[in-house]
Amino acid sequence: MLLAGVYALVAVGLTLIFGVMRVVNFAQGEFLMLGMYAAFWAFTLWAFDPYVTLVGAIPLFFLVGLLTYALVMRGVIRASHNVQIFTTVGLSIALQNVALVLWTGDFRFVRPWYYSMVLHFGTTAFNVSQVVAFVVALALTAALFAFMRWSYTGRVMRATAQDREAASLMGIDTDRVYALTWAIGIACAGAAGVLVAPIYPVYPTAGLQFVLLAYVVVVLGGLGDMAGALLGSLIVAGVEVGGSYVIGTAWKEVLYFMLFIAILLVRPAGLFGQRGAERLGM
Amino acid sequence: MRHRPPLVVVLTAAFVLSLLAGGSHGQPLSGEYKIGVLEPLTGPLAFEGKRHLEGFEIMRDMINERGGVMGKKLVFAVGDATDPTAAASETSRLIAREGVRIVTGTYSSTLCGAASEAASRQNAIYWETSCVDPRFTRRNLKNVFRTEIDGSGFGWYNIEFIAKHLVPRFNLKPNQLKIAFLSEDSSYGQGVTEAARQRAKGEFGMQEVAAEYYAFASTNDFTPIVLKFKQLNPDIVHHIARGNDAVIFWRQSREQNLPFKALVHAGATGYGSPDFGKALGADGNGPFALLEPGPGFKIEALKPDGQKIEREFREAVQKKTGSYPFGGHQLAAGGLWLLKLVLDRAKTDDLDKFRAAVLALDLPVGSSVNGWGVKFADNGQNANDRVQHYMLQWQDGQLVTVWPEEFTTVRAKWIPLGAWDQRK
Repeated sequence: MLLAGVYALVAVGLTLIFGVMRVVNFAQGEFLMLGMYAAFWAFTLWAFDPYVTLVGAIPLFFLVGLLTYALVMRGVIRASHNVQIFTTVGLSIALQNVALVLWTGDFRFVRPWYYSMVLHFGTTAFNVSQVVAFVVALALTAALFAFMRWSYTGRVMRATAQDREAASLMGIDTDRVYALTWAIGIACAGAAGVLVAPIYPVYPTAGLQFVLLAYVVVVLGGLGDMAGALLGSLIVAGVEVGGSYVIGTAWKEVLYFMLFIAILLVRPAGLFGQRGAERLGM
Repeated sequence: MRHRPPLVVVLTAAFVLSLLAGGSHGQPLSGEYKIGVLEPLTGPLAFEGKRHLEGFEIMRDMINERGGVMGKKLVFAVGDATDPTAAASETSRLIAREGVRIVTGTYSSTLCGAASEAASRQNAIYWETSCVDPRFTRRNLKNVFRTEIDGSGFGWYNIEFIAKHLVPRFNLKPNQLKIAFLSEDSSYGQGVTEAARQRAKGEFGMQEVAAEYYAFASTNDFTPIVLKFKQLNPDIVHHIARGNDAVIFWRQSREQNLPFKALVHAGATGYGSPDFGKALGADGNGPFALLEPGPGFKIEALKPDGQKIEREFREAVQKKTGSYPFGGHQLAAGGLWLLKLVLDRAKTDDLDKFRAAVLALDLPVGSSVNGWGVKFADNGQNANDRVQHYMLQWQDGQLVTVWPEEFTTVRAKWIPLGAWDQRK
């Protein structure tokens, strides 16, 4: 269940980018993978604890986001969805292979002193790194939620999401908003990567196992809806764990995809999404 | 005062000795003989694929120092098989563009089926050295051969080890043993697990308390399974893992204090991969993995020919990599050495004559690299009981050979496994 926090952080980044920019970022998992490598190298080369690295990783990945927006996404932001999909899929494959060339396909591990430390709550035991990942991921998600809800910049981003043309007419620099949105989304993925690095091995395709579920979470919660993404992540993690325990591990994906289809049949826009969310945005 | 022999006598003797010692070594090779080598060199299996290729290259150089194949220098055309589709297309390219008549490889059971089908369509020989999917040699393809054991052999060996070596030390009878099967759901995992389940129940009457399969690529949390196993209280967990799933399951079992008496795996993946030791160090002490021989292996237990080639192979790996051979090295090298023996006997790559030479080859256990023997069946599978395998155990961050005991100087520890913090 503690993985729900990480799913939420990845999904919130995805849903933010989709909500404001109307772009499905297929490279989100690769930015998570880069976050894992950042934690690994900082730990290996300079003995930085992953949670210390996290403090630097968030602004670092924000800058990486700004850079990739300027170099890759700005050119396709007004292109068709097909072009955007091909671009982010291409970015995903390119990043995976850059990691493979630079760091090989070898599994690498971050082993801080607390990596095997366990906390006991009654009869249940939790790894410390999992608990920290859950708490920090939820805190970052809540902070982002508050930023979008109450800050001036957040309101500007929501205004752009609701009507790009009207926002431009009101004097909002939409290109800047898109750059900011993309950079925040990438920073979320990078932070999630740093948080899971003490728990899972680091390798070039490590992001895939998280991002597949994040897509399910985003659609389940409602495209572009951050609260929906958070609830969706809890539902998916709950079904995954409960289904594995009661029915069998082989059934867990069948179960949450059946739930996913069932919810979409009843509420096509997801649990919290509005109909036509892809046009309305957040 | 000693009488020194004349210089001309010394030089003549040296010349004669060098000719005798040369034998097959260093004799002039007439031209080149090219084979295709297919490995996953990019993508998630790249690391193991590169190690496998390294094993081929080391053995190729050894073969060329011993007269090559059919008197020619052995050379490779290498293909990158990232996934089954690429495996098929690269096989076709190696045959059509590079002109090879024999393709060998591949590290993975997910690749060998597609690659061998592609080779079969072009009537080329497919010489598999490492995949263990039992279906591979059940298709009755006349061009397909496998030097490595198949998955059912892995299952057979694992249950043999459990019934004959572990159960007596638990002071139990085999039919009193509670065993939980857990496996990733590829053809490799399923092949090994189903064979083990069948033998455990059918031959020994072991009590199967669980049989769980999971998707390797998307499973990153084993807590539900660990909690379920805690309730079922198995004596042994038979876990066929593929990669980091071994690390995650072991860590989470430790965190949840799952008290099994032993964990048994088969193959160079999961618990059989050096990555397991890198991730856990001494915290990974205890699990068993059925593999090719590792440290502790008693070379003297092999036949004279086997001792010679095994010793020279180890020295070559040590020289090139600075370490003991890993499973990927051993599988590739063992298979390529047998290919040389066949080609030297067949003296051609014509399929019918090559096949006749394969089926005629008959070497007892201990004759070749890894202590393997050879006796191929009509379906192209080397006999499981000739492909001698060994049980290795993680002891202080290293996989060491512990069984069969006649082949090793090291003994298994922690039987049964004690408390998680007392295995050092």
